[in-house]
Amino acid sequence: MFCFQCEQTARTETGAGCASARGVCGKDEATADLQDVLIYQLKGLGQYAHRLHQQGRPDAAADSFILYGLFTTLTNVNFNRVRFVELIAEAARIRDRLRGTLGETLAGPAAFQPADNLAGLLAQADIASVRAGLNIVGEDVIGLRALVLYGLKGVAAYAHHAEVLGEVRPEIGAGIAHALDFLATDPVDADTLLAEALALGQLNFTVMETLDAANTGRFGSPTPTQVRTTPVAGKAILVSGHDLGDLAAILEATKDTGINVYTHGEMLPAHSYPKLHAYPHLAGNYGTAWQNQHQEFAAFPGPIVMTSNCLIEPQPAYRNRIFTMGPVGWPGVRHLTHADLALVVRAAQALPGFAETAPEKTILVGFGRDTVLSAAETVIGAVKSGAIRHFFLIGGCDGAAPGRNYYTEFAEQAPDDTMLLTLGCGKYRFNQENFGEIGGLPRLLDMGQCNDAYSAVQVALALSKAFECGVNDLPLSLVISWFEQKAAAVLLTLLALGVRNLRLGPSLPAFLTPALLNVLVEKFGVQPITNAQDDITAALTRQAA
Amino acid sequence: MADTALVTLVTRDSARLEFACPAGMDVLSAAETAGFYLPAMCHAGECGQCHAHAQSGAYEMAPHSKAALPDPGQGGILLCRCQPRGDLTIDLPYEDAKIARQPLITRSAIIESLTPAGEGALALTLTLTPDAQLGGAADFIPGQYMELTVPGTEIRRAYSLANLPNWDGRLDFLIRLVPGGAFSTWLGTRARVGEELSLRGPLGHFTLDDASPRPRVLVGGGCGAAPLVAMLRHLADYQDSLPTHLIFAANREAELLPPALFEELRAGLPQLEITLCVWHPSPGWDGFTGTAAEALAAHLAAQTEMPDIYLCGPPKMLDTARAAALAQGVPAERIFAERLAV
Repeated sequence: MFCFQCEQTARTETGAGCASARGVCGKDEATADLQDVLIYQLKGLGQYAHRLHQQGRPDAAADSFILYGLFTTLTNVNFNRVRFVELIAEAARIRDRLRGTLGETLAGPAAFQPADNLAGLLAQADIASVRAGLNIVGEDVIGLRALVLYGLKGVAAYAHHAEVLGEVRPEIGAGIAHALDFLATDPVDADTLLAEALALGQLNFTVMETLDAANTGRFGSPTPTQVRTTPVAGKAILVSGHDLGDLAAILEATKDTGINVYTHGEMLPAHSYPKLHAYPHLAGNYGTAWQNQHQEFAAFPGPIVMTSNCLIEPQPAYRNRIFTMGPVGWPGVRHLTHADLALVVRAAQALPGFAETAPEKTILVGFGRDTVLSAAETVIGAVKSGAIRHFFLIGGCDGAAPGRNYYTEFAEQAPDDTMLLTLGCGKYRFNQENFGEIGGLPRLLDMGQCNDAYSAVQVALALSKAFECGVNDLPLSLVISWFEQKAAAVLLTLLALGVRNLRLGPSLPAFLTPALLNVLVEKFGVQPITNAQDDITAALTRQAA
Repeated sequence: MADTALVTLVTRDSARLEFACPAGMDVLSAAETAGFYLPAMCHAGECGQCHAHAQSGAYEMAPHSKAALPDPGQGGILLCRCQPRGDLTIDLPYEDAKIARQPLITRSAIIESLTPAGEGALALTLTLTPDAQLGGAADFIPGQYMELTVPGTEIRRAYSLANLPNWDGRLDFLIRLVPGGAFSTWLGTRARVGEELSLRGPLGHFTLDDASPRPRVLVGGGCGAAPLVAMLRHLADYQDSLPTHLIFAANREAELLPPALFEELRAGLPQLEITLCVWHPSPGWDGFTGTAAEALAAHLAAQTEMPDIYLCGPPKMLDTARAAALAQGVPAERIFAERLAV
């Protein structure tokens, strides 16, 4: 096993990466190796799919499988070895079909024949390792390949979310197939690799736009909404992850049952979508970010549904009442489709639910681009009058690392004449605090999930147009916390769009070597976080200068 | 000697739990004081449920049953009897997820039915009394057991659940009656449908490794049928497709489980192969003649891929079956066992 795809990867004196029998995330060695094999096969599928796209004969089912397959290998998504054995067999069948369609037999990963038993598959894993060829090509090339692969995983995850809501665009399947085909060539040229990474960032912008269209098209444009964060007496279901379609299905299945539905983690922004908010039993938001789920899920008195990452090992206290959907999986945890939701309803009815209604507390969400841009005149006026000195976008993932307190401190220490925008689950570090108002608007604007970075970019572009300046000339600094591969995809998008003034933490990706980090710093203006006060001062000083 | 030793428990999946163990306290109690409720049953060195292996460090074992601790010379310990004599590191034979972080809960249930299940055995079905705090779900992992209290006494006996976790509060047990046994006597003579029972659980770490993609062989005998039946029902429920073999042994044909049960298991799990073994069969028996260990050895000899082995039954059956599996090359860590006190 070797895996260094997420922020919490093991960092020891001998180097970074989880290389023991069990990764920090809880992924065991066999699962990690099987995921590597699946990724290797997906490169092979990409070889065929890329050529079929070029010929105008894309295989929609294969494109869909590629998205799903990549998504299953994201951090904290699927830990089920048996599922990966099945996916590997399925990938081989799809490869055979594509080979027949193309009428040509390709070499490389496309020619890989997986073993038909576990021992054989594990023996094949070395060829598929993310560090395969290290001795020949060196750390920098391995790091750049990893950057492309991990960014690609994030792109695929967002594309899958859009697809299940019915938004499929051929250029996305083509772009992903192209990137996999590129990786299948074992590229060694650093400039070419970096260009591919930026192309992926550009593709991810399209994907996030597509997901935005899927979400807003289906559920309406987010509007400012007060969300209850304390429980209401009664039976309860908790829905976590990012998939709004799964939440909608659960709301529909629980309509008129008396069961209340609560959002968890990255599902919080769902409350701001009018067609989801319209369900009266979408009762509130429960808990905080993903890393606290052992305590929070154990204390939740009803079933829990994980629609995407981040899942960590279910504890005995709630193992029978947690369910997975979509790409998520854990051995021995029941996996559901939309057709199976009666089981969750039954579970909610059998479990105790909340005995009492707690005093009401709320937080405000729903500052998507339409809402923010509708207040553009107010914002622009406030900037021109000096009421708003600076904008800080404090966004991204949360995690367990103590260094993530930085983001709380940053939000708390940012001067009162600065506006705070946030997205992703990193917001749970500070979103229950009262930051007051500025220019007639709340100082803290919650823009949504991590993929709503699209919305943030739209707002930044609109502001730059209004001020007749470039995005990098705006009084705007980005303070990004990353954890998994969707954040890598968003980072590539920001780099591809030429966004500078970006601080990244809590630690920098382990797969980026010092030389590659230097490129990020020199060429793209990415800076590692230091401490909140110094970074605030530096951002404001830059602006003043 | 220090007043307090540092105990480190290492789970099968490499999680490390550390806590202090004051002088004179056993590891199991110290773990509970620290908030880790490890699988255990008798707390008296008799049942073997808390069997583990000392990796490093010194310790003393308080008096215990030899049947419960077959490997004292190889670092084998019973956590309920083990008192550290300095810092101690212990390997646990189960995953971190099998360790509860809450104390055990006692609740009540009503006898729904009580019917014969083969010679000398009864099928007991209880329904949990709904509880405002706990709800009405039967929440356990197939392979686990509950402790049932003999009404009017403080005597508790452990019985494995034979059904699946469910939202209806239903608990099914297959109970082999032990002549003179406290619960057996009550069950066989005085228990009535509608009567209320007190029970505690779920307990135990004898559960399927759901993550394993290897074939599985489940071996049971005597009163060891219930957890294996629950596991097979779980595999059927999850539409598991891995090769699965059940070896079930009895001294005589009449002690085998009812044929309808095997038919149900085969119907739910089409790939299931069943070997019924009878040690002393009557003339005309066309199944396997011999012990569970002999049947297991014969099965393994014909395999190319070594399966995971799940053993549940009396100590002698467990020891012989384990030896047979090891002799055929099954790694020790792929043998899961529930040692039943006799």
